[in-house]
Amino acid sequence: MIELLFTPILLMFGLSFIKNRKVDKALAFVSFLILIPTISFLEIPKPFNLFGEYLIVDDLGAYILFVSSIVGVGVALSLLTLKKHVMISQKAYRRFYRFFAIFWVGLILSILSNNMGIYWIGLELATLSTVYMIRTNHSKMAHKEAWNYMIVGTIAISLILFGIILIYASAKPILGEEAMQFNLLLAHAKDIKSPFLFEIGFAIVTIGMFVKMGFFPMNLWLANIERASYYPVSALFSGILESAVIIGFFRFSKIMMEINYDHLFIFVLIYTVLTIFIVSFLIFRTKDFMRLFSLSGVEHMALITLFWVSGGVFPALLHFGAHAFLKPALFLSTGVLESKGKYKIRGTLKGYQGKRGKLFWILVSLFLLAVISLPPSPMFFSEIYGFGAMIEFAKKGDYLVVMLAFIFLLLILLSIIFYKFIEVYQSMKYEGKEEKKEVYPSEILALFIFAIALVALLTPPVINYLKNIM
Amino acid sequence: MVDFYIGLFLASLIVALFTTRLFRLLMWYSFNSLMLGLLALIIGIEFNDDGLIITGVLTIIVKSLAIPYFLKKFSQQFHIVREIQPEIKVQYAIMLIPAILVFTFYLAEPITNMILNNSNHIAISISSLFLSLLLMMEHKNVAPKVIGFLSMENSLFLLGVTATEGMPMIVELGIFFDLLMAIVVINLLFTREEIKND
Repeated sequence: MIELLFTPILLMFGLSFIKNRKVDKALAFVSFLILIPTISFLEIPKPFNLFGEYLIVDDLGAYILFVSSIVGVGVALSLLTLKKHVMISQKAYRRFYRFFAIFWVGLILSILSNNMGIYWIGLELATLSTVYMIRTNHSKMAHKEAWNYMIVGTIAISLILFGIILIYASAKPILGEEAMQFNLLLAHAKDIKSPFLFEIGFAIVTIGMFVKMGFFPMNLWLANIERASYYPVSALFSGILESAVIIGFFRFSKIMMEINYDHLFIFVLIYTVLTIFIVSFLIFRTKDFMRLFSLSGVEHMALITLFWVSGGVFPALLHFGAHAFLKPALFLSTGVLESKGKYKIRGTLKGYQGKRGKLFWILVSLFLLAVISLPPSPMFFSEIYGFGAMIEFAKKGDYLVVMLAFIFLLLILLSIIFYKFIEVYQSMKYEGKEEKKEVYPSEILALFIFAIALVALLTPPVINYLKNIM
Repeated sequence: MVDFYIGLFLASLIVALFTTRLFRLLMWYSFNSLMLGLLALIIGIEFNDDGLIITGVLTIIVKSLAIPYFLKKFSQQFHIVREIQPEIKVQYAIMLIPAILVFTFYLAEPITNMILNNSNHIAISISSLFLSLLLMMEHKNVAPKVIGFLSMENSLFLLGVTATEGMPMIVELGIFFDLLMAIVVINLLFTREEIKND
């Protein structure tokens, strides 16, 4: 099975060295092949030891890897027409795929890892490979942001490693070298003799992850990077790289729940509400698509973490899936929307003619409305279930009124974001002049795949699968 | 002997904070890594831990020799500015660095209380982490920032060695691999406008 998983990646890496323009389509096709092993992971009995105790396929990992591979297909399709929208050399294009292959290796390691150290190695590998992807844009801003990402990203990653060392030190007296394994840590969490050391380690790991996801106080660094890079890179950031980060948070927080649930909940609640508070006002002031979508991504990641720590595994994963499909779809759309001038919101949804054009603007409109949780978007249901999980959690303690106040505050903040998106949508559709614009079939196909995936999230088999993930 | 090497490790990092020339900064980083490698070797030999011995040897080869060599080569190849004036003035840095060291000992007290062995070493490795961050912050140029990041990685390695008597071998090897990957990416980031060569 492991050969099946890594063969397309090795092929992609090898093909990226061939100096022939015909290789572009082969590269895209090879990246689709990653879907085969990820689909088979959904069906095999789990937990499945893919590589000893180091890589284990469980329900959570299989779901996140499958979602990521669909996003990968969408990104590969959009890469086919990248040269028609932006200036990129053949050499840089091939090298992009080379780093895309390395990115996949890092991603697989971090998603399927049962070992904290290997999780970190995977995350670092994925982070480093995206640095070059930002650099494929030859603008001064992209060059500056690539360095910025390299430095801030590595500080965040170093914080995660620092926390991992402390967690390992806290559990090593009882588990020895096996204290690196997530499943053993979870099974023996209550036996850890210095829970305070574990908590410090967890807090540092979490802050590192939150910095990487653009949470408070680092709300703008991710938005600046996504603005500076080409749109497929932004799609990769929002749809796949954040999956690798959040799965780490899921795994670490499950252990923390066994050690001190109250500390975990209060820490995450305050951090996420503060993040959404800042982000909602940043969204309100934003003037271009990329920043709007990027900041909205931060808001959604904060909601996912909040739902998860409230015990709402199903709403958190449903929200995660919806975000992973919607955000890359919107980022890929910006490639088309901005092809007639950057930062222009007024009238950008006008001028798309023919069947393809009409389908494009309808899909983009639907995605824009779905990302602000308008029913029947999966995000609407995940938020309803998520807030329900928060209330259920509060009922167990004496903090129901406080929790209701927090939910009320969150709803006010979400309504600010809702207002801004509606305003942007109206400006895109009903204001400005009409100019003739072009959409290519592969772009429509990518958006269509994301739309189908979103609908599939609300089908009974997917809902049952998500409800069975513990 | 371990105390001696940790002392030199910390001293080389402090000197690096005052350095105003890139090649000298690379030399101090190389020395810092050498101390770390020797430390890992000594502890590895003391506990008869093969993993730690291999890691120590790799640290000396990769971090103390290969990385400074390649960074020096890149700086010559891409004509990187070698004069790196720290943004924090020397008179302030002289006060700031001991303050960070003292502050870290107090800050790390809850952690060191729980790890009975080598508690002072753990405090030193955490203070090295802060000093490496300071190295990144006090320079505007990219090259010293990269060395600050590499020093941070050294500090984390020291923490791993002192707090846990070394991380599992597979993790250490993975970290080395990532470090080499970082050097490849840094090289590509220094390379300018390949679009013209196509």
